[in-house]
Amino acid sequence: MLAQVIAICIFLGMFLLIILDQFERHIITLVSGALVLILVFGVCMHSPAAIWEALNLRSFFTASFWYGAGEESTAGINWSTILFIAGMMIMVEGLGKAGFFRWLCLSLAKLVHYHVVPLLICFMCLSAVLSMFIDSITVVLFLATVTLELAQTMKFDPVPMILSEIFCANLGGAATMCGDPPNIIIGTSLGYTFFDFIENTGAIVAVCFAAVAVYFWLCFRKELLREERANGGPVVCPEPSSAITDRRAFGASAAVFLLAVVLLVTHAQTGLTVACIGVIVAALTLLVMALSHGRATVLEVIRGVDYKTLLFFIGLFVSVCGLEKTGVLEIIARFITNISGGHVATIVVIILWLSAVTSAFVDNIPFAATMIPVIRSIAAVEGMDVGVLAWALSLGTDLGGNATPIGASANVVGTSVSAKGGYPIGWGRYCKYCVPATILVMAVSTVCLFLRYL
Amino acid sequence: MKDQIIITMGREHGSGGHYIADMIARALGIKLYDKDSIESEIVSEGYSEELIRRMDEKPVNFFASRRIGRFSNSLEVNVAEKTFDMIRAKAASGESFLLIGRCGEQVLKDDPHRISLFIGGDPHAKLCRVMEKKGLSAEEAIEEIRTVDHQRKAYHNYYCEMKWGDARAYDLTVKSDVLGMEGTAEMLIRYIRAFQEKD
Repeated sequence: MLAQVIAICIFLGMFLLIILDQFERHIITLVSGALVLILVFGVCMHSPAAIWEALNLRSFFTASFWYGAGEESTAGINWSTILFIAGMMIMVEGLGKAGFFRWLCLSLAKLVHYHVVPLLICFMCLSAVLSMFIDSITVVLFLATVTLELAQTMKFDPVPMILSEIFCANLGGAATMCGDPPNIIIGTSLGYTFFDFIENTGAIVAVCFAAVAVYFWLCFRKELLREERANGGPVVCPEPSSAITDRRAFGASAAVFLLAVVLLVTHAQTGLTVACIGVIVAALTLLVMALSHGRATVLEVIRGVDYKTLLFFIGLFVSVCGLEKTGVLEIIARFITNISGGHVATIVVIILWLSAVTSAFVDNIPFAATMIPVIRSIAAVEGMDVGVLAWALSLGTDLGGNATPIGASANVVGTSVSAKGGYPIGWGRYCKYCVPATILVMAVSTVCLFLRYL
Repeated sequence: MKDQIIITMGREHGSGGHYIADMIARALGIKLYDKDSIESEIVSEGYSEELIRRMDEKPVNFFASRRIGRFSNSLEVNVAEKTFDMIRAKAASGESFLLIGRCGEQVLKDDPHRISLFIGGDPHAKLCRVMEKKGLSAEEAIEEIRTVDHQRKAYHNYYCEMKWGDARAYDLTVKSDVLGMEGTAEMLIRYIRAFQEKD
């Protein structure tokens, strides 16, 4: 009982401090994790085994961590997620250095002859597609920066475009296992593959994307057309080739990216786990950088890795493990089962909408990490397939974060880039367009889940 | 002798900090950057005037903002960072100036030409000054001093390593009522000139 109370207090304290944003997130979760190890597992439970399990270091030495379909992580630090994210960070750093993202954005702008409304649709598609494979922060960072640059030359208000890019980045991230951190955690924890996500969340996201593309087109087309006409039609912008800093590095980085996509899409067939793919992608990127730019650039790429996010994950997993090992998450699972009266449809709706509303205001990563053992318990108690709960959790956490400027990391980065460029986006303007869009995609997701699974 | 001088000045509401700053800037022949001039400079760079007036030197709303690395959705933070960049650019250009507020002592912490001051005052003296200057009752003046100082403190403490008004954060902290406005300004001018002449 005391262990449960302490685990809850540590977790709530961690959540509150993350919301208050007074200390860096990784410091908060690492301190919480350390407190869980010492106070909950050490002092209250006297269980070195629980500490060992929370650290989960033995997973590195199991064959299934590197190879074998349907990897399923146990409690504790989910090292698969951490290795995969680290690998993708290195790859993205290499792609950015070679000018890949800027080249892609400028090429698309040229393809639509710098007409603003087609550019809006193109950038929404690009944002969604890239976010299926790359973290949405990077996608929004590059897209919003190029959008600001084009807006300056083409004289249009970039805010509508940046808002739609942010929204579509979060939407695209929900479609795949590697698109958004909650999905990576869900996938590696429950043993799902890239294709499981594509077939389930991906299909629903495709419907949501169609609805949202029409929604944003209806919202912004008049304003953007008016601005284009006022400026006398399309103008000439920087050539895409100007984005490429080094042709050899560009080609090689793009090839590594394509290989990463192929490895991810086929990982159920090849048996390579996401941890293994992360390591392969990182090693190849570093090799490419070493051959094209030399050792100094390799160190620069490694330094560019957001190690704070990786530490944040490590601390978070240990904190969640505290709740799991003390049985708190099972109590939550029983509570959800009780209030739903054991009715599967009600449980799905609760998971979906609770995840969405929570993710609109707090970081969706701790929430998803906490909810995974909960949905596992619910599925076990109710004797139902955990899949439908996993898809509901994934859609809720990923899509709900769209509603507010603080709901997802991509929103923070997008609004910040816009503000730094002289186009601040406050809560009012953000929510005016994104709250209805979020309600729209959540309604579509609810209907799709009901039609397909219930 | 230093060819560039940058004076940063924090102040309590009602201490007469702005009046003292004005006297120092005129005596040294340097530009004074206060709320109005800073806001107009940022507005001239394309920011909306209404937004800058609303967000300048305002504390961050913790529940409505989130930070990811160097990015923040908070308009207050973005306006503050824009202001800090502008201050750094001015210092780097070699310009001499006196800056009121805006965490100047922290933003230009490593600049060898910077001298940082904080002007405080006796609570009664500050109250009398605010009542007289703004024609407020004692209750209204107390409330205004409390609100303004609370905002300045929250703004400062969010961006700075040291606390607002903590003597360890500044080169010199003074109470303006001890020597009076003119006396304080004269003393500070002598102090600044001595700093200027020091290698």
